[in-house]
Amino acid sequence: MNTITVLGLVLFLLMTLVGGKTGATAFLSLIFNFGLLFFAVVLISWGFPPMGVTLVIGMIILAFTIFFGEDNELAAKPAYIAALIVMVGLILVIFPVEHWIMAQGFSLEDSEDLEGMSLSIGVSFVGVAVTEAVLSTLGAIAEAGIAIAAGLSEIIAQHPQVTTKRLYIDGISIGKQIIGTTFNTLFFGFFGGFLALFIWFASLHYSFGSVINNKIFVGEVLMILFSLIGVILTVPVTTWVMTLEHRKAGNEPKR
Amino acid sequence: MKQRIKQRRGWWLTLTVVILGLLAVGLTRVNAGWYRQTVAVVTHVQRENRTTTTDEFRNRDVSTTQRVTLRVLNHRQRGRVYHVKNVYTASGAMDQAYRRGNQVFIRIPSDHHSSVAIQGLKRDTALAFVVWLAAALLLLIMRFSGLMALLSVGLNAALFYAAIQIDLMTNGNHVYLLFGVLAIVFAALTLWLVLGWGRQMAVTFGATMAGTLCALVISLTVFALTHERGVTYESMQYVTQVPRPLFLVETILGSLGAVMDESTDIVASLFQLKRERPDIENGQVFKSGIQIGRSIMGPLINVLFLIFMAETFAMTLLYLRNGNNWGYTFTMNMSLGMVQSLISGIGIVLAIPVASWLASRLMPKEVAA
Repeated sequence: MNTITVLGLVLFLLMTLVGGKTGATAFLSLIFNFGLLFFAVVLISWGFPPMGVTLVIGMIILAFTIFFGEDNELAAKPAYIAALIVMVGLILVIFPVEHWIMAQGFSLEDSEDLEGMSLSIGVSFVGVAVTEAVLSTLGAIAEAGIAIAAGLSEIIAQHPQVTTKRLYIDGISIGKQIIGTTFNTLFFGFFGGFLALFIWFASLHYSFGSVINNKIFVGEVLMILFSLIGVILTVPVTTWVMTLEHRKAGNEPKR
Repeated sequence: MKQRIKQRRGWWLTLTVVILGLLAVGLTRVNAGWYRQTVAVVTHVQRENRTTTTDEFRNRDVSTTQRVTLRVLNHRQRGRVYHVKNVYTASGAMDQAYRRGNQVFIRIPSDHHSSVAIQGLKRDTALAFVVWLAAALLLLIMRFSGLMALLSVGLNAALFYAAIQIDLMTNGNHVYLLFGVLAIVFAALTLWLVLGWGRQMAVTFGATMAGTLCALVISLTVFALTHERGVTYESMQYVTQVPRPLFLVETILGSLGAVMDESTDIVASLFQLKRERPDIENGQVFKSGIQIGRSIMGPLINVLFLIFMAETFAMTLLYLRNGNNWGYTFTMNMSLGMVQSLISGIGIVLAIPVASWLASRLMPKEVAA
């Protein structure tokens, strides 16, 4: 059997063993997300506009990740709404920045991999860079949104009379912890993913100036920064959506 | 009263840092003097002609020629004006259109026969702006702890740089040892900055290391049993050393942050639990740990998965448009990211029982409030 298949089976077994049903569904959502990601590239290669593909696929990925990962309906729904708001907000940041910084496509360092390829394929690589950036942030946004919504719904369940202001303070304080640790996840993910590139830079004696203006380096750093901005924005937005829901639930007559 | 003054001072400090940061971003527009390369600004652009191209896979693209007027901003040729031809495609895979106001790096040949060439866009201003945006948001929401997070990144980056220099000095002969040690130091340093010294830090550190190590052992066993079929090291990008060790080290470092993230969450919640109910039994602590881990692992694996996979988008697209089938395209572009995600996932899942078990065994009888 293929290594990927066996590793996938091992992961599935472990997730089911440790997580029971939640684990199995979480694994399922991974598979779906992979399918969606690949499908997104295929759609773009068929000529669909990258922006539209990003929006639609992004909405579905968020839905799979959040609703499959969290059983508590009371937390999942606000988390999803908040994640959608943050995604749209992020697109409003990512779109102009990618058009300004022009770190799309490939660089001279890629030459060897590009041998014999036609580069004039008629698809805007800036658009693809936007898609890449947006989709790569979704995991972090979903994770932060779920964590905050779950924490706050726990507080609401225990103290149904909690004030909106108190809820807001609690949301931010949960958020602080999440941002702190997610920072590490993103940062190491970045270090790890691009060790080879950094060794390349160092062994060919790139100057500091050429590294910080390098297309690939800039593109990668941007992805991490966008994810970080996404996570930071998720904290107040999710808290806000939760307080709205709480207020709405409070105004309704008790059944 | 005192509290309020202190709070207000904190506010002013944050605001000052944010404004100074914005000034620093502005400074990158006029920092041409700091560069060894020649920097020029685009003062005028004129479009000359455009042609439609079709390649052998019937991809249609538009190729445009523009005449770019540049004024040099630094060094001996400062103030000199050059005219350069720039050809760009609508897809812009390796090229781009230049606009008025863009700053670019150029090469001015010493002999007068060959022409001046644009080497690339100067991206530091835009990059600094996004760094500033992220840092400002971080400080606004997190205040002091945001500063600690930035410090942790700075220290880790310095360590990373040092490790790469050592790697080059030893010609990449001790990759495993070097980056293995680096991973341990990374974890210890980061957790120390987040948690401080103490039992909680020790338990979290232990869980991170044990989880990652188990994942590595399992993955290497799978590698051996399946003879690494489908792991296409040859498709690894930017490789200047033997690819296999580099790939394994990348995977370990990449998953380290996520495993730390998760262990921190679980161990912190369990210590909190012990604080609230000091008479809780070890078995119950272990169960609660698994319960907490269960809801974190799925989203966390997704975070890494999306990061590892989204990076391959541009190349995957290029493969598809160059007439390759889905299977080959996947193998050449996404399979390594997939292996990386799966190994990280295994580490993330294994850290849950390890962290819960360690916490239930090593927690002190009385946790200070």
